[in-house]
Amino acid sequence: MSITLNRRQLLKLAAAASVTGLSGAGPIPLFEEVPASVSGIRWVHDNAMSPDRFLPETLGPGCAFLDYDNDGWMDIFLVNSGPSDFFKPVKPLRNALYKNNRDGTFTDVTEKAGVGGGLSFGQGVAVGDYDNDGWPDIFVTAYGNCTLYKNNRDGTFTDVTAKAGLKTPGWTTSAVWFDYDNDGKLDLFLCSFVDYGDKEHLSCGDNKMGRKYYCIPRVFRGTASFLYHNNGDGTFTEVRLGTDIAKALGKGLGVVATDVNNDGLMDLFVANDTVQNFLFVNRGKDKNGRWQFEEMALAAEVGYSEGGRARSGMGVDAADVFNTGYQDLFVANVDQEMFSLYRNNKDETFRDVAHANNIAQATRLLSGWGLKFFDYDNDGSVDLILANGHPDDMIENYSAQVKYAEPLLLFHQEGGKLVNVTADAGPAFTRSYPARGLAAGDFNNDGRVDVLIATNGGAPVLLKNKAGEGNHWLGLKLEGVNCNRDAIGVKIRWSAGGVIRNRLKSSGGSYLSSHDPREVLGVGKAEKIDWVEITWPKPSGKVQRIENPEMDRYMVVREA
Amino acid sequence: MRFLKPIARVLTATLVVGLLAQAQTPEDALRQAMAAHQSGQIDQAIAGYEAYLKARPGNPMVVSNLGAAYARVGRYEDAIAQYRSALKAQPDNVAVQLNMALAYYKSGDTDGAAPVFEKVHKAMPRELQPALLLADCWLSMGRNKDVVTLLTPFSGGKPEDPAVLYALGTALVRDNQTEKGQFLIEKLMRSGDSAEVHLLMATTRLNSADFAGALTDTEQAVKLNPELPDVHSFHGLALLRTGDQKGAADAFREALKRNPNDFVSNLQLGALARADQNDQDADRYLRKALLLRPGDPGVRYQLASLDFSLGKVEEARKALEGILKESPTFVEAHVTLATVYYRLRRKEDGDKERAIIRQLNAEAQEKQPGVRPATGEQKP
Repeated sequence: MSITLNRRQLLKLAAAASVTGLSGAGPIPLFEEVPASVSGIRWVHDNAMSPDRFLPETLGPGCAFLDYDNDGWMDIFLVNSGPSDFFKPVKPLRNALYKNNRDGTFTDVTEKAGVGGGLSFGQGVAVGDYDNDGWPDIFVTAYGNCTLYKNNRDGTFTDVTAKAGLKTPGWTTSAVWFDYDNDGKLDLFLCSFVDYGDKEHLSCGDNKMGRKYYCIPRVFRGTASFLYHNNGDGTFTEVRLGTDIAKALGKGLGVVATDVNNDGLMDLFVANDTVQNFLFVNRGKDKNGRWQFEEMALAAEVGYSEGGRARSGMGVDAADVFNTGYQDLFVANVDQEMFSLYRNNKDETFRDVAHANNIAQATRLLSGWGLKFFDYDNDGSVDLILANGHPDDMIENYSAQVKYAEPLLLFHQEGGKLVNVTADAGPAFTRSYPARGLAAGDFNNDGRVDVLIATNGGAPVLLKNKAGEGNHWLGLKLEGVNCNRDAIGVKIRWSAGGVIRNRLKSSGGSYLSSHDPREVLGVGKAEKIDWVEITWPKPSGKVQRIENPEMDRYMVVREA
Repeated sequence: MRFLKPIARVLTATLVVGLLAQAQTPEDALRQAMAAHQSGQIDQAIAGYEAYLKARPGNPMVVSNLGAAYARVGRYEDAIAQYRSALKAQPDNVAVQLNMALAYYKSGDTDGAAPVFEKVHKAMPRELQPALLLADCWLSMGRNKDVVTLLTPFSGGKPEDPAVLYALGTALVRDNQTEKGQFLIEKLMRSGDSAEVHLLMATTRLNSADFAGALTDTEQAVKLNPELPDVHSFHGLALLRTGDQKGAADAFREALKRNPNDFVSNLQLGALARADQNDQDADRYLRKALLLRPGDPGVRYQLASLDFSLGKVEEARKALEGILKESPTFVEAHVTLATVYYRLRRKEDGDKERAIIRQLNAEAQEKQPGVRPATGEQKP
């Protein structure tokens, strides 16, 4: 009789053996925290927490993995708060750009790169090569003014926000680069949060106790998000007018660009706080030649809870979780609301399968922000990581169960279901954090995708992936030529070990954060990859096939 | 309620009325039955009354006595049937009306008891006891405004009746007339610390979203008097609002141990089971809640929503349309009905519902406390 053990079972056996004295070693953690003393990342987020508890204080920050100098190694960008109409920093605050030294350490190059910001209250970051020059550019959202940093290809950046036409008023949170009209240039969608008022800001609190706490956003009016079309000359035009994006007044926090109906047009799933989520399905040009997005979250059954209630949506993601060829969706909510995993019914509707995948039960008391579907152990199946933390630092005064700092959760896919493996994931998963942004990226190029978590008012947490020992993989850096350079929207199919798997390169997702743009394809114990098929997004549409690629390495694939 | 228990005892003491002639005839059986009833031999009494009525059907006094005997052994349905029969012959008999109302009340059927208590109250408008019992029924039915109207004439006495203070205070607080309710709570507090005061305080705090404060009070109320009606269900609500769903479920179950007809606990356990996709339990609790308050739109909505998730789309549609005819501003019901229409490929109807939802949400946004005028700069 043959017995198949997965990694989780092996870890349990290892743990048991350790307890009984059969072995001196404990289980190897799936993820290992890299302390600042090792990584050199000493930057700390300043949340500007004030006695008035202004809401922007608790929403940030975001973080990103990006290869700003194109040396093939993932660097790190971290967003900080800054001056605003309610906050005047005593000493200047700045974002941080850390260059990867290729040895597990990082060097702060913010000043030289010119991306410190310090002019507005930063929230999130979206990285994308908007000018298709092969060098990643950085967009920073904010309460106040957004900033577009154009990569000068020499380790420095230039603030081109005004020149690009991207000066955006109000309060923007997550942003996503995607090519909605398939013209080969990345456009930009910006989540707009609430109308926070232009002079005085509403205070919420218990006057009897003399305390103020962060307002539940229900008291603020919703706003429409922004869609900027890339004109191809370094400028953008705001084009939401006349679309459902303009009509949909939301309180946007998270966004992912994906293709929910496989029509080759990128759609948008937006998580809103205290109002319904939005699913903007890209319908292409109408008879007047205007590009249309149809907001259809209600009909698609992803707008509200099963009980018909709008929830506090924050983090989102999309992936073909169950290898059906269709994109499933995820949204994280605040405590008591539970998170939702929406399985795609392949007819522009979804079914919430969070309970069946142990997610609803595990997230009842948690508030989720950064999150990511990824195959952390390269066994070929999509897994999930969730970063959590309650927005109200005083929550423990009101609730015996809910905590301000909350644990991370890790789910592993086993037999078509997600299983909570947090207990096996390592010491970092036994600690609690006021987590916000989360970015996934392979900073040490070992093919195991690592995780970076930004915490509110704290230091970032860098988790090195130790899982998937012995599993094989192939990393792809995809470079569009006719399609957008970042190849957002590309479809990848690969065959290994008798299984054909699918992946669509979505963009955005998580919360306020941006991931490693490379795709790592896990194949488990398969001894070879038979083939990889790449369908480049329009206007290319070309299909490129690679036979028997060498495994366990990164390769650059240029659209041909 | 602690204050109400002696009242009920006084009222039930009026049950046995009159003596019939002694004989070895049906009348003799009746005499023996009444003697047995008075000495607490209820089974014998029932047998005697039944024997008499077989021979001499229709005597309203005996029918009523049989009802009282049934009630004494907990056969409330049989008791009510006898009282109903007695009232056919003597529709204005207040004593029988009262007994019937009590039978309903003791069986936990406050919906059945309330209209009968109402008749008694109309016949005896100055009597405090039936008014208090009627108030208790209405409180459990959520008719808080009616309780305020009913009990206000009884308030202001010197000394104030604590039962009136408690029931009226509860109604005012539940009706969001917090200031007036608070005034009565303070009066009650002067008579010392009690579970009733803490429960009232908790109700006030729940209404004003001070959930942690409510929890402190319900904990105290449970400690002081775990038998106080509603104390466990409100403790459950406080736990639920402070994020302890497991604790809340335990508290609701505790409430049901004491009173299987507790509406709040049945509804909340149903809703919790529903959220956990435990459809069987959800159905059981919600159907019970519906029995307790047949018209309650919240329960009907939960059941319709459950039907929908079980794939009974047409049933859900009919139920939701019915709910929305009566409660047109019920946003969640509009959301689910829109989803139902979309699933039934009735896009036009779905879109209509969607427009209503948008309108209702916009109105709700305007009513948010502290909401500020739009700055305009974000308007599309």
